[in-house]
Amino acid sequence: MMRYRSAAPFVVLLAAACSSGDALSLGDTTKVFKGTPVTMTVLGSGDFKPSRTTGEIFVRGNTAYTTTWNNAGAVASVFYIWDVSANAPTLVDSVKVDHATTLGDIVVSDDGGLLVVATEHAPGSIVIYSLADPRKPVLLSRFSNSGTLPGVHTAEIGRVNGTLYAFLSIDPSSTPAQLVIVDLGDPAIPQQVFSKVIGNPYVHDTFVRDGLLYLALWNDGVAIWDIGGGTPGGTVAAPREIGRVKTVNGHVHNIWWLEDPVTGSTKYAFIGEESSGQVFVSSSGDVHVVDVSTPSAPREVAYYTVAGAGTHNFSVDESNGILYAAYYNGGIRALDVRGDLGTCTAEQKSIPLNSTTPLCDLRLMGREAGIGLLDSGNPVYIWGVQYLNGAVYASDMINGIWKLRSMVRP
Amino acid sequence: MHMLRLRPVTDISLGLALLARPLHAQHAGHDMSTMNADSTARSSAHLMAQAVPLITHAAPSAGGVDQTQFVLTQLVVMARAAFLNNHAELSAAFNGEGLTMKRGELDTGAFGEGFVDRRHPHTYVHELMFTGRGVAGPVSWSATGGRGFASFGTDDPMMRPLDKYPVNHHLSQILERAALIGALRVGPAIVEGSTFGGDEPTSPSSLPLASRLGDSWAARATLLPVAGTELQASYARVASPEELTGHGLDQHKQNISARITSRDGDRYLLAEWARTVERDHDRNLDVFGYETALVEGSLRAGPLGIAVRLEQTERPEEERLADPSRTPRPASDLSINGITRWRVATVQVAAPSVTRGPFSGFPFLELGRLAATPRDARSFFTPQRFYDTSRFWMVTAGVRLRAGDAHSRMGRYGVALPTPH
Repeated sequence: MMRYRSAAPFVVLLAAACSSGDALSLGDTTKVFKGTPVTMTVLGSGDFKPSRTTGEIFVRGNTAYTTTWNNAGAVASVFYIWDVSANAPTLVDSVKVDHATTLGDIVVSDDGGLLVVATEHAPGSIVIYSLADPRKPVLLSRFSNSGTLPGVHTAEIGRVNGTLYAFLSIDPSSTPAQLVIVDLGDPAIPQQVFSKVIGNPYVHDTFVRDGLLYLALWNDGVAIWDIGGGTPGGTVAAPREIGRVKTVNGHVHNIWWLEDPVTGSTKYAFIGEESSGQVFVSSSGDVHVVDVSTPSAPREVAYYTVAGAGTHNFSVDESNGILYAAYYNGGIRALDVRGDLGTCTAEQKSIPLNSTTPLCDLRLMGREAGIGLLDSGNPVYIWGVQYLNGAVYASDMINGIWKLRSMVRP
Repeated sequence: MHMLRLRPVTDISLGLALLARPLHAQHAGHDMSTMNADSTARSSAHLMAQAVPLITHAAPSAGGVDQTQFVLTQLVVMARAAFLNNHAELSAAFNGEGLTMKRGELDTGAFGEGFVDRRHPHTYVHELMFTGRGVAGPVSWSATGGRGFASFGTDDPMMRPLDKYPVNHHLSQILERAALIGALRVGPAIVEGSTFGGDEPTSPSSLPLASRLGDSWAARATLLPVAGTELQASYARVASPEELTGHGLDQHKQNISARITSRDGDRYLLAEWARTVERDHDRNLDVFGYETALVEGSLRAGPLGIAVRLEQTERPEEERLADPSRTPRPASDLSINGITRWRVATVQVAAPSVTRGPFSGFPFLELGRLAATPRDARSFFTPQRFYDTSRFWMVTAGVRLRAGDAHSRMGRYGVALPTPH
């Protein structure tokens, strides 16, 4: 099943048709020119610069939600609600979440009915809200148990055979990291259906689509599980592993499995490597491209690196074949990910750091399409991005929220 | 070929740390003489118990608020014993801080083992080392194994004059590790090498992981040019100390020091420099570095003991938990929130001891002035943001209670314990 955060086919056309006021039209977008990254156009920043540090972002319709990170225990955590219908997001409201210093993830269900927020550190939990009014979330329940106690680092949600599930990546503490899957069929009474100690030493994130679950297992690489996709017969309660791959330098942090609605390709998964960094100052880690056309034998075929910066979360405009990567102090990077990424000339290959095997280098292949938020002269530290309806939204740990013009193919 | 033969160590002056000393130097509270006196001892056992009830006021500390703490710290029983005509030794230290100071000792600037601005409680089995030793021609040797200090850096702060641990504790000592140590001494030169498990404790009851044994090593060279003077240089490679599975950042550590003590133990001076570089072994890159320089000394002024320490140490800043004195262990990634440079001046005045039989008490008053600045002003963590100031005070009053004589130096074993004057 499709996870809402991914861009649905025809979403750009839909945006053009349904947009109102100053929302974008196709003609506003910046075109992708092969081989020459352009500066992405900033449409606006939030009208409120939080004194708290911003974390993850999720946007649905004209409403965005941003979380906060590393709050003092005494003041609890909050997430902010923004009206993003105009170019400059405006703050609508904030919601306080007790017993949490960090809200590391936030996500809306595919039907727009639920908002799920991950809390860490101990006592870790997910907090589930009704979005009957998207600007006024109403608390439905809070799920925690001994398994989630150390802290829920990320919470992704997806529908498998019609039922909505949350996939929780649990921090290690005195107990090892583990994956917890929660049935959200009745969001007022969430039920754990599966847990497993996994990751070396972390499971950092997951990606669910079409009955397959991709797991970011740090130095154990990427695992692909069948949880209801059909062939191997796995279920959410009894997943079956299909394949696994270790990408160069490990530190597998996040994943996006691309379903290109134009070409029909499902060949590539994009892996975010999160290596060391100093918050607000530096970061490191590359984007790794894995060919999953044979899920039982995935293999890394290409990569993308930025000197002096490292990647964090992704969002893909699948209808246009553009991947947007949050790159912390490196702003936003837009990559052209349509077509064959694993075939390139010798001149288009380079050797990743600490490796001996040349791989296709997306920059040398002319696939670095755009760079965002580095042109203002002010430092940024971009945690998350989301493409939606012709715009790219970014959460900036330093400055809050940004809205940029997305890119399209010429 | 020269044969390695055992002969009684008591025949020569290399000696052990096994003495119940007179208390002449302890009246001032700073008994530096005992720190190297063990090496001349002839007795076969030494037992000491210690506890330090104290009150500390820190303005401000973690969370940017003033804090006051009354706590029983350094609750420890130490023993050393020699067997087999001094060819075998046992060094043991059992620490009760896990019972008396679960939340750590208030100590602005301190860090390590998931604590910050508080000094962590030590493990219940702080040290349990067995040593065999002998002499081969001009060379004396020892081999030590158990849990204790790797052959790196300077002495443990618990055996030094001031109560508050320096900020650089985890840059200058490698403690509570499962280790095998070999040491050789020829005249004034000592060399040591050790292999140990890099995993640091995560709680007072932590035991070293068998899977980590031998993944780290250290080497230390010591020169004793004249009596009472000691020059030391050491290097260590510590695998993933903060991530038990071994997937965290490694540490490459350097330390050099000079140490002088007077014959009567009334005067003591230590100067050290150390550097720890954190290395991402997956990417084969050095990623963070922290330096420290420290000078401390003590002397007796009439009935009073006076000790002073000046320190500049760089500290990694990490995400804090709801308790602002704690950080996640293990961390959930490899990033830090900044590096803070701490400059600390500490003065202690100790009153004459109150002694009854084997029991003694040394009242002391300690005053610390601290300044903290971010090494990079762009960092997320700045003292101004977190503490709402960059200047701090810390005042401590306490009594060092002992039964038995002060223990000897801590952090060296066998022939690596320098010969006294």
